[in-house]
Amino acid sequence: MNNPNSAFHDRAAVALRDRTLRTALDRATLRFQELRASAFADFADADAARDRARLIRAHTLSRLDTYLEQFATNVERAGGRIHFASDAAALNRIVIAIARAHQAQSVVKGKSMLSEEVELNHALEAQGIRVLETDLGEYIAQLADERPSHIVAPIFHKTREQVAALLHEKIGMPLTDDVAEMTAAARRVLRSEFLNADLGISGVNFGVAATGSICLVENEGNGRLTTTAPRVHIALMGIERLVPTLDDLAAMLQVLARSATGQKLAVYTNIITGPRQTFEADGPDELHVILLDNGRSKTLGSAVAEILYCIRCGACLNACPVYREIGGHAYGSVYSGPVGAVLTPALNGIAAWSELPQASTLCGACRQVCPVRIDIPRLLVMERDAAARAGEMSRGWRWGLRGYAFMATRPALFRLAVWSARLGSRWLSRFNHGWIKKAPPPLNAWTATRDLPAFASQSFRAQWRAHQARSGATSEARK
Amino acid sequence: MNDERERMMRQIRAALPDAHLPAARATIPAREIARQGDRATMISSFQREVDALGGNCAVATNEADAIALLLQSLRDANANQVLTWDDADLPLRRVGQTLQENGYTRIFARVSRDATKRKTELAALERADAGITGALAGLADSGALALVTQPTQARLVSLLPPMHIALLAASRLYPTMAAFFASHPDVTRRGSNLVFIAGPSRTADIEMTLTRGVHGPKFLCVIILEWL
Repeated sequence: MNNPNSAFHDRAAVALRDRTLRTALDRATLRFQELRASAFADFADADAARDRARLIRAHTLSRLDTYLEQFATNVERAGGRIHFASDAAALNRIVIAIARAHQAQSVVKGKSMLSEEVELNHALEAQGIRVLETDLGEYIAQLADERPSHIVAPIFHKTREQVAALLHEKIGMPLTDDVAEMTAAARRVLRSEFLNADLGISGVNFGVAATGSICLVENEGNGRLTTTAPRVHIALMGIERLVPTLDDLAAMLQVLARSATGQKLAVYTNIITGPRQTFEADGPDELHVILLDNGRSKTLGSAVAEILYCIRCGACLNACPVYREIGGHAYGSVYSGPVGAVLTPALNGIAAWSELPQASTLCGACRQVCPVRIDIPRLLVMERDAAARAGEMSRGWRWGLRGYAFMATRPALFRLAVWSARLGSRWLSRFNHGWIKKAPPPLNAWTATRDLPAFASQSFRAQWRAHQARSGATSEARK
Repeated sequence: MNDERERMMRQIRAALPDAHLPAARATIPAREIARQGDRATMISSFQREVDALGGNCAVATNEADAIALLLQSLRDANANQVLTWDDADLPLRRVGQTLQENGYTRIFARVSRDATKRKTELAALERADAGITGALAGLADSGALALVTQPTQARLVSLLPPMHIALLAASRLYPTMAAFFASHPDVTRRGSNLVFIAGPSRTADIEMTLTRGVHGPKFLCVIILEWL
């Protein structure tokens, strides 16, 4: 289901022509940005809270081995079972083995990016096990046989008419344009699925090393039902998702929901420590926590380890001018937007994903909103570098950059090039007030879609010299 | 499986010396946490937050007052069957008696370990119209309730019915989640499930339109027992 490289530009072009998608993108991303901004405007210690959240993530990863051992021990102490999966296939094998041991026929699933990453639904369905997504957006995406297009809002790209038609066709809901009615119809269908499911599968937002707890954050209550109604609960967790203590968890929760949806806290923050205890009235009898590597330890040892600080709030998606134009599907991977452009090649190798780090203007909007202040532009540059080193660069680019390097390291040549570019650009823009409408190849790749400004009449170096001479004269005069 | 664990741990240990982790420090410095707040301020803040979340928060100054609010909520929910915790686990001892006197059917959540029995029991519990719980704590800054599972304090009571009514002793208000954790360092050992509930269940998945009651309760009513 992952769609690397070659098709990235095609997918982006398709997205750019999709008017419905672009209207939805504008509405959703702007709304999320407003919600986030107002949540942070009311949050007195926002800067300190973000610094602390960053510090907690950085510290935890720097001792990941210790915290993982501690977490695993404490999960087991609380009566849970811990599994290690080094890749997608290993994780799917573990889930299937648990499902078989319980003769499970139906599975309800809470939202989990990680299960998308390992394509768990396909693996289970291949075994004849029915899997139902229960987050409303993910449920609708599943009915439409699509992949979620946003970390927080999986189907924001669909209009209410499209959703109504889908629910009408798939679950027999009478046609309506009332969102509350659609939600109620989905609730009815999913409620009986929850109560009859053999297995509940959830993601994990944070694991707490000191207590062996897993924390699951959600608004709908599907997470609570998934982890309460079925006899067996399986929690899927990336190895990097740890915090040391409950206090650290509280610090992370302070920034997570504000960044994601502008809420102070999500409606439900579940903190689950082991399966139900002997005398508890309800809850699952078994809890399995599966820790997945799948490229994370490799990423930890790489130049882009900082991307593992990510807490999946989706704020960088909403802030990104590229994401806001093309949406999540164009990226072709489970993780989209700025974080996806770093994480996808980091986890899966740059070879197939070298286009993604290019899908950015490096404007820095993502870094500005990131609750843990990940320097995403720097990481994008590191991934571009990795792509170049791996030879994932077209011949034109490679020779072009070599030519540039040759010229830029020879001052006389550089001055000559700037001088001729200035003359040339002024010539090309002579009828258009300093704007070039049409340039010869290879610059026509730019001018095909937008104008190119001509060089200034004086180079920066010349302006700088003039400026220095003037200020030198003034300071002389003061003496 | 243990091989897999060892292999993964080895890989992580091998990666760590090369890991470029900006801002990493050897320890996370301790922070000052204000454990207590002024009670009246916390009550009004909590009330404001719950209302903003689309819930309903009322303050009862005595037991009769609280019972009246409880009955009002049940009438609002058009309730017939009421799922509750045991009386001993509720801060108001007269809940059972009140329900009985007013003709409500009271049911308790007990779920078997046997797979088939479990499904039948769940189907029966699903018919409840309202759920009444206590709460371990309330967080004044966010309007969240903290509930932790205990032998008879089932999680389904605050989850299955369309209305959740929570009885919260005012003395259990904390300014923040950090203050709550600081006062309950062993809370995760008390029960397997701790949940913070901030308002009624909601979604905005379809066209960013806010809708309540998608999977959990559509209505949340918190009654603060001011004298406790």
